[in-house]
Amino acid sequence: MLKQYPTLRFVLMRAGWYFLTFLVAVTINFFLPRLGKNNPVDIIMGKAATGLSNEDARKKEEKYLQEFGLAKVGKDGQLLRDAEGKPMKAGRLEQFGNYIKMCLMGDLGTSFQKYPKKVVDVIKEAVPWTIALQLPTILFGWIVGNILGALAAYRRGVFDKVFFPFALILSSFPFFVFGMLLVYYFAVLLPWFPAMGGYANSVMPSFSMAFFSSAAYHYVLPFFSIFLILAGGQAIGMRSMGIYELGTDYIKYAKWLGLKEGKILTYLFRNAMLPQITGLALSLGTMIGGALITEMIFSYPGLGMAMLTAIQNNDYPMIQGCTLIVTVSVLIANFTVDILIGFLDPRVKAGLQMGKGV
Amino acid sequence: MKLLKNLLKSPMFVIGASIFLLTLLIALVGPLFYKITTARVGAQYDAPTAKFILGMDDLGRDYVSLLLLGLRSSLFVGFLAGVIATTIGTLIGIYGGFRGGVVDDILNMVTNLFVVIPSFVVLILISASFSEGRSLTLIGVIIGMTTWTWSARAVRAQSAALKSKDHISLAKLNGDNTLRVLLVHILPYIFSYVFMVFILQVSSGILSEAAISMIGLGPMDTVSLGTILNQAKNTGALGDGIWWAFIPATVVITLIVFALYLINTSMEGVFNPRLRK
Amino acid sequence: MAIFEVDKLSLHYLTRFGQKIHAVTDVSFTMEQGEILGIAGESGCGKSTLVNGLMGLFIPPLYPTSGDVRVGGESLMNRSPEDVRANILSRKVSMIPQGAFNALNPTRKVKDIAADVMAAHIKGVDKKQIYERLKERFDLFGMDTNKVLNSHPIQLTAGERQRSVIGISTLLNPQMVIADEPTSALDVTTQKVVIKMIFDLLEKGIFSTMIFITHELPLLRHVANNIAIMYAGEIVEKGTAEQVVFDPRHPYTKALMGAMLSAEPGQKQRKPTAIEGAPPNLANPITGCRFAERCPQAKPECKQNKQEIRIVGDRQVRCDYAE
Repeated sequence: MLKQYPTLRFVLMRAGWYFLTFLVAVTINFFLPRLGKNNPVDIIMGKAATGLSNEDARKKEEKYLQEFGLAKVGKDGQLLRDAEGKPMKAGRLEQFGNYIKMCLMGDLGTSFQKYPKKVVDVIKEAVPWTIALQLPTILFGWIVGNILGALAAYRRGVFDKVFFPFALILSSFPFFVFGMLLVYYFAVLLPWFPAMGGYANSVMPSFSMAFFSSAAYHYVLPFFSIFLILAGGQAIGMRSMGIYELGTDYIKYAKWLGLKEGKILTYLFRNAMLPQITGLALSLGTMIGGALITEMIFSYPGLGMAMLTAIQNNDYPMIQGCTLIVTVSVLIANFTVDILIGFLDPRVKAGLQMGKGV
Repeated sequence: MKLLKNLLKSPMFVIGASIFLLTLLIALVGPLFYKITTARVGAQYDAPTAKFILGMDDLGRDYVSLLLLGLRSSLFVGFLAGVIATTIGTLIGIYGGFRGGVVDDILNMVTNLFVVIPSFVVLILISASFSEGRSLTLIGVIIGMTTWTWSARAVRAQSAALKSKDHISLAKLNGDNTLRVLLVHILPYIFSYVFMVFILQVSSGILSEAAISMIGLGPMDTVSLGTILNQAKNTGALGDGIWWAFIPATVVITLIVFALYLINTSMEGVFNPRLRK
Repeated sequence: MAIFEVDKLSLHYLTRFGQKIHAVTDVSFTMEQGEILGIAGESGCGKSTLVNGLMGLFIPPLYPTSGDVRVGGESLMNRSPEDVRANILSRKVSMIPQGAFNALNPTRKVKDIAADVMAAHIKGVDKKQIYERLKERFDLFGMDTNKVLNSHPIQLTAGERQRSVIGISTLLNPQMVIADEPTSALDVTTQKVVIKMIFDLLEKGIFSTMIFITHELPLLRHVANNIAIMYAGEIVEKGTAEQVVFDPRHPYTKALMGAMLSAEPGQKQRKPTAIEGAPPNLANPITGCRFAERCPQAKPECKQNKQEIRIVGDRQVRCDYAE
């Protein structure tokens, strides 16, 4: 039945595969941090138990154990106790079960360092900043880079000779290196831009001009440190693809047929773009990762910073929550690009097989 | 070898290879010429002087020594990660590409899984779980085990293209078993390609180490280029304009990565004639 | 009046180092209405360069040295590229390329590619008219028109693709069609279908003359009226198909025919012979006969004297000693 609707079948198959990946990701997300021997509650108790009596400390520990899903809980919601009255620790699988339950309820746990603030709340505050920075940067970087690359491939000549080495150098800078250099040159040496933060300390987040202009001012350096590298990389790739496509038989035939130059250019661009979009799918994870590192350098109040402070404070639920959100975002983005490719390139639809799609 | 001669004709290759070999040389024999000291020899963030040309760090240690140590560490991790990643990736890629069919599909699915789940996320998670005992070797191993997907894909494509070539069919007709065919007939063909892949994995390994160290999840017992940057960031040297805290390390990382990239691009130009123009 | 005239056409390439490679030298022939001329020769003899020249497509580094090409009396030389594109290509002279599967833009449907051709040359035709015209034309080809027009190239068989290419190339009823190895990559059955289609179109008057380029000489004998043999950028023999295949006079043609395995009656007992050596480097000025190095009947004078076309036995031969 489904064979009648190849598009639907394609979308469903990709969706199914991504869902599988999502399950694996959640599992990995849970088990990896527990590779070591640490018990988060012990760590937190170290700080929290100061100055408390033994009885109070014990009560607090039990509360934490329950909250972090580390203890066995009976049907009545009370901690199950062993013969000595100590709460029984839940096994790994049980912890996993608790974790899944909590996730499905939208609860990603409680942050250690910001206790009792919930992880989701912290993330909710940070995500808009990350999206505001990354989405336009990645989009524009990709578009501009590809256009420049196509131009370089078609025109060659002087433009190409100047542009190519420049783009090459730009694209080989690691994100954080470039970020640091920009901060040094444009925020410290030449105090044109602020070195860190999403907005000035004196301003409070609100829907006011003062806030937005401050935010915009703080936006410039992080934006460019991601954008330039991305554009450079895309330009290089697109240029190679453009050069390759220029030599293909169908472009020759198009010329022989006397098609208009503008038409031939669209042929070229559309076909050279396809592998670029595929490349986008493959490197989205890296791009988002690089952007997160840039956030860390600029102390930009997005997910990157949230993760950084979480790492520095051994805030496991926070680390886990952030990585889960990041992974899910990458998966969604990849899925979108995949579907896009399927629609744009008839060869992909014609050859759809599970696992060979990306 | 003819290949080498061709490579040497390319200016990109010569520049890239020289830079990289130079840094390698400095890393390996530098300590023989320059006395490395990690003891406190000055005050916090002392500016560069004639004796200590790159100044002091936050704890008054000589930056040149730190850089040398850091260079060695980073190169070590890069190589280790590169070797591991290339080995895993090549094995998976070559086997999947050659066998095709169900085996290939399964291996592909696994690879795609690792592609889509961001490797740095896995890196962070694993590193965070080892709150003690993070050594260079461990980091190298982790990086290697999470970044092999790229080489797997690249090698698989080559292997799949090769398997339909005539001399492979001939070998199979002769009764060679799969392992023998892989080792004797396919591997030599794609060796140059695998080498290129290795270069990129090393460079990516160095970068990953720098990144992970910079956010504080790096090795706890040694200095690496990334930990230098981490320290610079944590102490706010960035904002205070103390350039010797991070510029030298940055320059070194960028140089190495750039050199490796040049080597790789020039090799690609020599091995893939279609890009030659 | 001759539909197509080529008058002492010479073409050259400019290499990166400023060297001139004389790829085609002094080629002349004329073609009448309904004539199919076959051009044959080994790889590198200048066939492809000649094709570009015959269409007026002089894209650097290819340049015309001298000579003229006329279609229906109009010269193709000394025109701007835009003029050639708008008025000559696809309208007066059209090309059917080798390897149709690569010639069609893989991400575009057949009907869109064909529509592009029409839109590039005819002003002010709306989509509906275009598609109707397409349907009309493609209906003549004996394929499932709707399916073929609405498919992407990847969904078609090799034969369908080749025929689509032929259809697209002849869409605007060009006077002259140049087919460059149109059947090389096809299996024998599909070859027959394609040849039949070409003859059909010729009969229906969709185009008037055709140049058929191939290295498969037996095929030429069945398809072409006249055959011209090219070697090192020159025509060395030209005559009717029967003459050239069964009674070659030029040493090179003789060697070519001898190198062929043929199941023709009377040819079975001939042993195939290979021609040793390689064509000359056309960057250096060549004195004398270009085939002299490899010619089994070469005389010392051959290397000195430039060979002109003579008439031997009712056909043109470029050899002073042929008879």
